[in-house]
Amino acid sequence: KRHRPLRRSSICFASLLCSYAINPQETLTSEMNAETSDAPPTSLVDRTVVPGDTVLDLTAMANQTIKLGAGLRQDCDTISVMKAGKLRLSKPNKYWVESSHKRYVPCVEDTVLGIVVDCKPDNFLVDIKAPTLAFLPVLAFEGGTRRNIPKFEIGTLLYVRVVKANNSMNPELSCMDETGKAAEFGQLKDGYMFETSTGLSRMLLSSPTCPVLEALGKKLSYEIAVGLNGRVWVSYYHS
Amino acid sequence: MEYLDSLTGFRLDGRRPNDMRQIRGEIGVVAKADGSALFEMGNTKVIAAVYGPREVQNKSQQINNQALVRCEYSMANFSTGDRARRPKGDRRSTEISLVIRQTMEACILTHLMPRSQIDIFVQVLQADGGTRSACINAATLALADAGVPMCDIVTSCSAGYLSSTPLLDLNYIEDSAGGPDVTVGILAKMDKVTLLQVYFRSGLDS
Repeated sequence: KRHRPLRRSSICFASLLCSYAINPQETLTSEMNAETSDAPPTSLVDRTVVPGDTVLDLTAMANQTIKLGAGLRQDCDTISVMKAGKLRLSKPNKYWVESSHKRYVPCVEDTVLGIVVDCKPDNFLVDIKAPTLAFLPVLAFEGGTRRNIPKFEIGTLLYVRVVKANNSMNPELSCMDETGKAAEFGQLKDGYMFETSTGLSRMLLSSPTCPVLEALGKKLSYEIAVGLNGRVWVSYYHS
Repeated sequence: MEYLDSLTGFRLDGRRPNDMRQIRGEIGVVAKADGSALFEMGNTKVIAAVYGPREVQNKSQQINNQALVRCEYSMANFSTGDRARRPKGDRRSTEISLVIRQTMEACILTHLMPRSQIDIFVQVLQADGGTRSACINAATLALADAGVPMCDIVTSCSAGYLSSTPLLDLNYIEDSAGGPDVTVGILAKMDKVTLLQVYFRSGLDS
C-alpha cells in the first residue's frame, strides 16, 4: 500500500478537465466513463471523481437511506461530488470521497497536532490547519484547575483531540480522552515536526502497522505522533 | 491582414476556425501552496496558487456566514514580447482579478467555511491571448488540488469574429486585430454560465 493515490487522480483530473474543454461529448465516452447521470449507482465507486460529478440519482432510489461522508453533498435529487478524489462505498449504504490535501477538515474524535498561536484567559488559540483557528480550553487537561493552568508559549506543539467541530463555530480541542485521563495528549517536546498531506497521515495510521514504521522501528527506538491534520512529530531516543 | 486564408480556410497558426489550441494542465506545481496548477493554452502559460481555507488575516473583512475569496492576477515582466515593467495595481489587472474572483466564487461552496479566507494567486508566465480563460482554468484546477469544496468545475475559453468568421480561442495576433472578442466561463457539469464578457472597440464611422 505504498502508493500515493491522489497523484494518479490528479493527472486524471487535469486530463478530464482538458478533455472536457475540448469536446464535451467525447468526454462522456472517454476511458473515465463516469459522467452520465443516469448510470447505476455503483458505476463510480472506487474510481476517481471530480467536483460536479453526479454519484447517485435519488429519483431512481426510493425509500432507501444513504449515508454521505466527506466530499459529497446533496443537491435536490442528486448526490454530487464536492472534492476531487476516489469514491468509496462501505456496504450497505455509506458513500464518501477519499482525498488527500494539505488542509484539514476538523472532525470530532480526530487526534491532531496543533501549534499554539495565542493565549487567551479562557482558551489557547491553536492552529490545526483547519479553515479557522481552534480553541483549547485552559481547563481541558487532566486535573486542570484555575490554579495550575499550563503555560504554553506561542509555537508550542501539542497533541490534542478534537471535541467539537462544526462549520459555524471554531473547533474545540481537549488534552484529555473521553474518561478525563491525560492519555498521551499534551505538549510534544524536542523531536522534529514536519507537515504532510492528510492522505499520508491516514496511511501512517492505518492498521496493520505501516511498513515504513515497522522497518524504522527495527533499526531505531523512536517515538512518533501522527496527526490526522497532516502533521507528524518524531523523536529519537539515544539508547 | 488575412486572418483566415480564403483558399484553405486555415487561420494564421494553421488551425480551423473552431479548433482550440493545445491545452495542458499540471497540478501540485507549487510546493508551499495548499493547491496549485500550471495551465497552458497553446503558448499562453499561467500558474495558479491557492492558499486556504485558512483564518482571515484582516478581521474587518471577515464574513460571518461564508468564506472570503480573494484573487490576485498579475503578469510576469517577461510574459509579453518586450520585457515591460508591469505595475501590479494597474486597471487591467484589477479588473481581471475581480472577474476571476467572481467566477470562482460562483463555484466554491463558501457557506461551508464561514469566517475563513481563500486566496487565489494567478500569474501569467507567457501571454499569447486568452490569458483570462487560462487563468480561470488554472484557478479551477488549483482549487480542486487544494480540496476547496466546489459545486462544479469552471471551464473557460475565448472566441472572436474576424474575416466574417467566428474563431475559437484567439491568440495574441487575432486578439489585437480589432474585432470583438468574448470570454465565456461555464460550469462544466451543471451547464451554467458564470462568466460572459464581450470586448469591442468601434470607431464612430463604422
